Amino acid sequence: MKSISGESFEVRLAENDSMIVFKGALRLSGMEDYAPILEMLKGTLSDPFAPIVLDLRELDFLNSSGITMLSRFVIEARNRDGINLRFFASESIGWHARSLQNLQRLMPALTISFT
Amino acid sequence: MTSEILGHIGPPDERSEFLSLSFSPLGAPLRHRWRNNGVSADFLGDYVITFLPANGSMATERSQSEIRHAVTYIANEFLENAMKYHERHVDIPIGIRLELAGDHITLSASNGVGFAQAQRYKGFAEYILQENAGDQLVTQLEKSAAAPESGESCLGLLTMINDYRAELGWRFEFHPAYPGVMMVTTSAILPIGTAAGESA
Repeated sequence: MKSISGESFEVRLAENDSMIVFKGALRLSGMEDYAPILEMLKGTLSDPFAPIVLDLRELDFLNSSGITMLSRFVIEARNRDGINLRFFASESIGWHARSLQNLQRLMPALTISFT
Repeated sequence: MTSEILGHIGPPDERSEFLSLSFSPLGAPLRHRWRNNGVSADFLGDYVITFLPANGSMATERSQSEIRHAVTYIANEFLENAMKYHERHVDIPIGIRLELAGDHITLSASNGVGFAQAQRYKGFAEYILQENAGDQLVTQLEKSAAAPESGESCLGLLTMINDYRAELGWRFEFHPAYPGVMMVTTSAILPIGTAAGESA
């Protein structure tokens, strides 16, 4: 699956399946609803040598279930050898700086690039 | 009606400017109400910034955006929790209230909860009041990943404290008309300076 979308969001695979681009406001009702997105994210871990990028620069809103979903992906990446994971974030979206650094506590090797 | 208080929560300040919304839990299926949570939370976020003074620390577009997001995030989490855990089949409204004071914003949500669920929630409230929220947040995320089937993480409350510097409080009281049902009010106080992310 290359793209998952809803009324207020889109999650899309790009760049030879090594980048996932998030847009809009993600406030699904729980982990069951987030499962397809988590599966898409985990799919990027199949090639341990390709850098993986999550582009969050246009993700305006993420509820706590979405943060849980992202954290499960980060922990999965951390637990595999050699995964090179980077987030693209936005300085103009306040929650990026505040909440994404919690994920760095889970995976210190996670790189977050703000633009 | 006797009540038990945890953390910091006061009575509604009727002298302050406030906005109060109320929803009937019997009015629509959960999935439809879920969509309305986002609409209501966005509305509260947009509403609050129209009342902030256009001077001092509130002058920048960035800080207004930070406050709008903090209010929207907390309102959304409160409404999601209220919809998830509200006692079904009792006609107790789910309420959310936004109060504006000079140096802080208070958001509070109330709903009816079964006694056993209220006890679990109270236990979690006591736990998060005792420990460092940042450490608890990481612990909960690790636990959630290790046991994906476990449902309740209360992560939303921890992010309110850790990411938005909110001061939380709870009031638990038995509902006078429904034996075995407790009214639970959860409150978040956002100091306006830290809601803007300036000193966080």
